[in-house]
Amino acid sequence: MKKEGKTRDQKKAGLGIGRREFLKKAALGASAVGIASITAPGKIVAAVSENAENNGGKQRRNLAMLIDLRKCVGCSSCATACKSENGVPLGVFRSWVKIVEKGTYPNVSSHFLPRLCQHCEDAPCLRNCPTNATYKNDDGLILINEDRCMTCGMCVSSCPYRARFINPETEVADKCTFCAHKVMRGELPACVDACPYGARIFGDLNDSNSEIRKIMDTEPVQVLSPERGTKPKVFYIALNRSTAETMGGKYEELG
Amino acid sequence: MVDTVADFGNGPTWTWLVAAYFYFTGLSAGSFVLSTLAYVFGMEKFKEIGKVSLALAFTLLVLAPLFLIAELEQPLRFWYLLFAFNPTSAMSWGTLLLIVYPLNCLIYGYFMWTADLKLTKVFGAIGIPLAISVHGYTGFILGLVEARALWHTALMPTLFLVSAIVSGIALLIFVLATMNLFLPEGKRYAERLIFDMGKMLVWLIVLDLFLIFTDLLTMAVGSETVYAHFVLLTQGSFSLVFLGVELGLGALVPLILLMTRKTVASYTLASVLVMIGIYAMRYVVVVGGLALPLA
Repeated sequence: MKKEGKTRDQKKAGLGIGRREFLKKAALGASAVGIASITAPGKIVAAVSENAENNGGKQRRNLAMLIDLRKCVGCSSCATACKSENGVPLGVFRSWVKIVEKGTYPNVSSHFLPRLCQHCEDAPCLRNCPTNATYKNDDGLILINEDRCMTCGMCVSSCPYRARFINPETEVADKCTFCAHKVMRGELPACVDACPYGARIFGDLNDSNSEIRKIMDTEPVQVLSPERGTKPKVFYIALNRSTAETMGGKYEELG
Repeated sequence: MVDTVADFGNGPTWTWLVAAYFYFTGLSAGSFVLSTLAYVFGMEKFKEIGKVSLALAFTLLVLAPLFLIAELEQPLRFWYLLFAFNPTSAMSWGTLLLIVYPLNCLIYGYFMWTADLKLTKVFGAIGIPLAISVHGYTGFILGLVEARALWHTALMPTLFLVSAIVSGIALLIFVLATMNLFLPEGKRYAERLIFDMGKMLVWLIVLDLFLIFTDLLTMAVGSETVYAHFVLLTQGSFSLVFLGVELGLGALVPLILLMTRKTVASYTLASVLVMIGIYAMRYVVVVGGLALPLA
């Protein structure tokens, strides 16, 4: 499609070369501005929150939970307390109890596995969140900034523990927070308080005097799906592998 | 004998919409690469299709994010992606690409339309890694999620890209054949173009099938969760879509048509089937990958 009018030489002498040069520079400039404007605000916000999280030189806490399954009877008081404390809507769960039956009648047994967010040291949700709505606080808790979440659901897809969901009421991503609002006040998470048998222990892994640290250092503990590399911080005593690894549903029923 | 009696927990949120987004970015990337065959790689015989394939590339890319926005619980928050960046998140990189790639398409297109061949070649060349990335990153979005056994394979970005080129070629054949129905005699695209593209399509379908075969075979000998997905795809609830639509209608039938009946009608039908099949592939990967419960 050749344009009528000036020849190439004529154009070079007049406005033609100016227009081409301008477009080249505009294209490069626009790309630079575009990239800078997208990455810079994120960096600025990140820098501000880094400063806000600086706790003045004290050793940071690394909060974790330990659940002694020898004491768990599957009453689900923990799950109920969590629902109540955090106003979790029906159909979604910050905390729940998986119940597994083994054997055939009359040789059967039930096994209980309280589940919640693992607040992983190497969390896939944290890695994959495109807006940094998911972040890790000073105490090692993985939390969600509801003002930044754009509900893409990447975190929900990334979590191997099914801990995350999109809250139908708040309409943002949601999950167990280890009751950060209570922990900040020096209290314990609701599920820890609620357990009638004291199966749940909560504390700072970095504090050598904490109950959780002492148990961890003296008892054998297990975690869910260690091979996934998430480094979860919910530790179990007497975790039964078949309880942990059974998928929701029998193999043969696939399809 | 272990039975799960009660397991509440939370389910996945992604639907066919996410698969549609992957499909459209794939079509766009495939179309873009086709436009560069002449304008960057100097294959003069494909010069005629440069403009139509670039137009397709740009349009499809602009439409693609609409599927994602529809998937959001809060669609109006989509722009939050533009004001944050997480270097470890494939989705963050994708957002960048979703802006830079179409901008480059516009610049490349401008020079293509004004017949400045040198600058067309420059921006076309810049566009190739952008096109590969704007679709390849979606392969990383899935492939880097260790939690989902069907997704977590090193093959995922490559599988996505090869499927993208396959779908792009098929789309172009379909568009050329359709346009020829409405264009006047002198302005139609040469039938030779459709047959040349059809030949390329055969080889790329074969490559795609090889990658799928590699993935399947590896899954068949994988861990329990991986094997469960193999069963899901080959015998379970996704077997009809996977074997019937993705492999059968979407690959084997088109291969037979392309290799035995060299007519425009046959090639066009093959292309439509391929396009359906590649969408089925995205659907199986995204929805199938989320179909089995995690432990």
